[in-house]
Amino acid sequence: MNSGIVSMMLGVSLFLGAIALAGVMWAIKSGQFDDEKRMMDSVHDDGEDALNEAAEIERRKKEYKPE
Amino acid sequence: MSKIECSHCHLDFDEEVMIKDEDGENTYFFCCTGCQGVFHLLSDSGLDGFYDKLGSKKLTAPTHTFEDSSSFDSKTFYEQFVKKNEDGFCEISLVIEGIHCAACVWLNEKALHKLKGVIDVHINYTNNKAKIVWADHIVKLSSIIEMIRSIGYNAFPYDPSIQEEKANKERKNYYLRIVVALFSSMNIMWIAIAQYAGYFSGMTQEIKNILNLAEWILATPVLFYSGWTFFRGAYFGIKNKIVNMDILVATGASLTYIYSIYITLNESGEAYFDSVSMIITFVLLGKFLEVLSKKSAADTLDIIGKHIPNEVNVLRNDNIETVPVHDVKVGDIVEIRPGEKAAIDGEVLEGEGYFDESSLSGESRPIYKKLDDKIISGTVCVDARFRYKAMKDFSSSTLSHLVSMLDSAMSKKPSIELLANKISGHFSTAILVLAFLTFLLWLGLDNGFDRSFMVGISVIVIACPCALALATPVATLIGLSLGGRRGILFKEAAQLETMAKAQLLILDKTGTITEGKPKVINSKEYQDVDKSLLLALCNSSLHPISQAISSYLKEEDIKPAELLTVTQVPSRGVTAVFNGKKVLGGNAEFMKEAGIEVDIKSKYSLFFFAVEDKLISYYELRDSPKEGIKELLEYCKKSKIEVVMLTGDHKESASAIAKEVAIDKFYADLSPEDKANFVLEHKNKVSIMVGDGVNDILALAHANIGISMGSGSDIAIDVSDVVLLNDSLVSLKEAFLISRRTFTLVKQNLAISLVYNLITIPLAMAGFIIPLIAAISMSISSLLVVGNSIRIKWKWQK
Repeated sequence: MNSGIVSMMLGVSLFLGAIALAGVMWAIKSGQFDDEKRMMDSVHDDGEDALNEAAEIERRKKEYKPE
Repeated sequence: MSKIECSHCHLDFDEEVMIKDEDGENTYFFCCTGCQGVFHLLSDSGLDGFYDKLGSKKLTAPTHTFEDSSSFDSKTFYEQFVKKNEDGFCEISLVIEGIHCAACVWLNEKALHKLKGVIDVHINYTNNKAKIVWADHIVKLSSIIEMIRSIGYNAFPYDPSIQEEKANKERKNYYLRIVVALFSSMNIMWIAIAQYAGYFSGMTQEIKNILNLAEWILATPVLFYSGWTFFRGAYFGIKNKIVNMDILVATGASLTYIYSIYITLNESGEAYFDSVSMIITFVLLGKFLEVLSKKSAADTLDIIGKHIPNEVNVLRNDNIETVPVHDVKVGDIVEIRPGEKAAIDGEVLEGEGYFDESSLSGESRPIYKKLDDKIISGTVCVDARFRYKAMKDFSSSTLSHLVSMLDSAMSKKPSIELLANKISGHFSTAILVLAFLTFLLWLGLDNGFDRSFMVGISVIVIACPCALALATPVATLIGLSLGGRRGILFKEAAQLETMAKAQLLILDKTGTITEGKPKVINSKEYQDVDKSLLLALCNSSLHPISQAISSYLKEEDIKPAELLTVTQVPSRGVTAVFNGKKVLGGNAEFMKEAGIEVDIKSKYSLFFFAVEDKLISYYELRDSPKEGIKELLEYCKKSKIEVVMLTGDHKESASAIAKEVAIDKFYADLSPEDKANFVLEHKNKVSIMVGDGVNDILALAHANIGISMGSGSDIAIDVSDVVLLNDSLVSLKEAFLISRRTFTLVKQNLAISLVYNLITIPLAMAGFIIPLIAAISMSISSLLVVGNSIRIKWKWQK
């Protein structure tokens, strides 16, 4: 086998794996696994609402910011 | 009559009791105005989507009785619970009561989001804890709490103690490191397989270089990120001049790493990157298991603080005021109501009635208090309202004194050095010396630096303490889970080993050896007993003897009669009038005073029942020993554990019980401090204290292992290391069995890993080890240890 192909395959797979790892680490760090029930239950509530809420929180943070 | 469902809480009620509510074309039914209010509130604010999410689940109906929420805006409350975050917003942690399901969480979040000034609400589905962020100049905390209450829930603040957060952070930190280590190790393994294959079938140096490079990239984060704790541990070890396992792991892994880099760059020989990541991953896993099963002493102290009343009612300017306990001065007049716990020591000025002192003295009978009697903080007022003069301020009162003593006891808790730690120190030193000697020897035999260095490294790699690191945590974790399933909660894994080494078992009497409650063991009826009369009489008194007779009669399903003019005679009995007849119930003295002759003698408590000066019946009661005490004592005798009984009770009752269950050594009339001192005097032995009350907490904290009964007081449970959930002495014996079995297997595991090293290290010193063998033998030894640990369960599975 050509060593170029071996190195390319290794490189690509490790790179993809690293992206997945970074994703998992980010999720752990931001507390997404802290609440196991929410993960399953909030699937029901997923939708436009959740996005609107997140935008609303950002807006309020600006609006109510104490001096 | 048809049952109909309430539109809000979905509970079923008869149609006629429901509140009918017609709203346009829809008709709703409510079980109460509370539900109605919440329902309209929700539909008015567009939150009726809640009912779709709720489905057919049922709720508890909202209650109305809430205190004024304005106390939430007080300065002291803010100081205690409210934090400012970096944006300048206020933040509080609340526990929300009444959450049943995801829909409730959704509703709370939505409702609070609608409130102007609330920035963010996050409710944890699992533990119902909420974090709320709000702008304090727009909305006050009291309005937030009111909102939660108005939709049918209630909220309590809690202090997200720094300790709890710290522990979670540490756990998360380990988690991240393990994720990286596992990811890298697994990837290295499949690359390593290619290398092993190449080792036997041959491959070009070019391919080998690529594989080495990939392994190098993967091993780097494992060593420096995941393995960071070992470098830190090694640093502290060197600083304190102790050779610990961290030093062996850190030097072994980093030397191997450097050597492998050298091999990779030099394009000759075999790299050991797989061993680097495997050592770190295995040992890190072992450490993580330990962290998981650790409790922090500081957490316990937080909980104890909650048991102390923080406010008392004090008479000031003819008014009763509620003041913080620290503001009470000597000479202040304190008022205490039934059910309240005294926070301050003092002397009674006004009022007569019973005090429950069982938490301090272990005495199961309530004590009657009248003018000038002493009130001890920590005891509970049972049935009357008292006013008493404070004789001490809060900090020198009995209760807070006890807690501050507990503080120091907890921080000085003795611990036994674990066998694995003892071994690993010597082991690490031996390996490092052997590796160095091997290197020198090979160099001296003219093998060249490269070869000699590689052989030296292989000694360290093969001696990798993977199995050693896993030996204890895996076995104890299995022991813990086994105990947990049988109602024995070990709060920390290391306790299993300590318990297995126990030499002295100290038992409390009331509630531990005995049931803690008197029971009717014998009764004699001279005439037909009107049991409904007797039950009514006994129900009217809170005395344990009367209570015991009530519960004895209740087994027969009797309805109590209506009594008139019930009079309690302290430490004697009760009298009442029924149908114009005088009814009496009490002890022998009480009967004699009423002119009734009784000549019955018993070493147990007696209760007589008489109507119109005629003895109807009597009952013999005693606090009998629990089941399983005989087996426990036999077991202790067999395994050479000394047993001692300590009690705050009188000598007579202590010796009666001691004789009955055959305990040779006992000490009676002990105060909580005396018990603790007894434990301290026997420091040279590994001691186990078993107790259930507040009077045992100091002793529980001082002993190597404190064991409490699941029904014991909360403080005792918090302070102790092991909790017997079913209160049974059979469990106590089982706890001994499990701990000993676990410790045996820990020893076996250690032996396995040492034997493995005895075989492989000479091979490594002779230079026979190649990376493949190192990897395989490492895995096999770890698997052996894990497999052996599972055997703990065998005995109990039959």
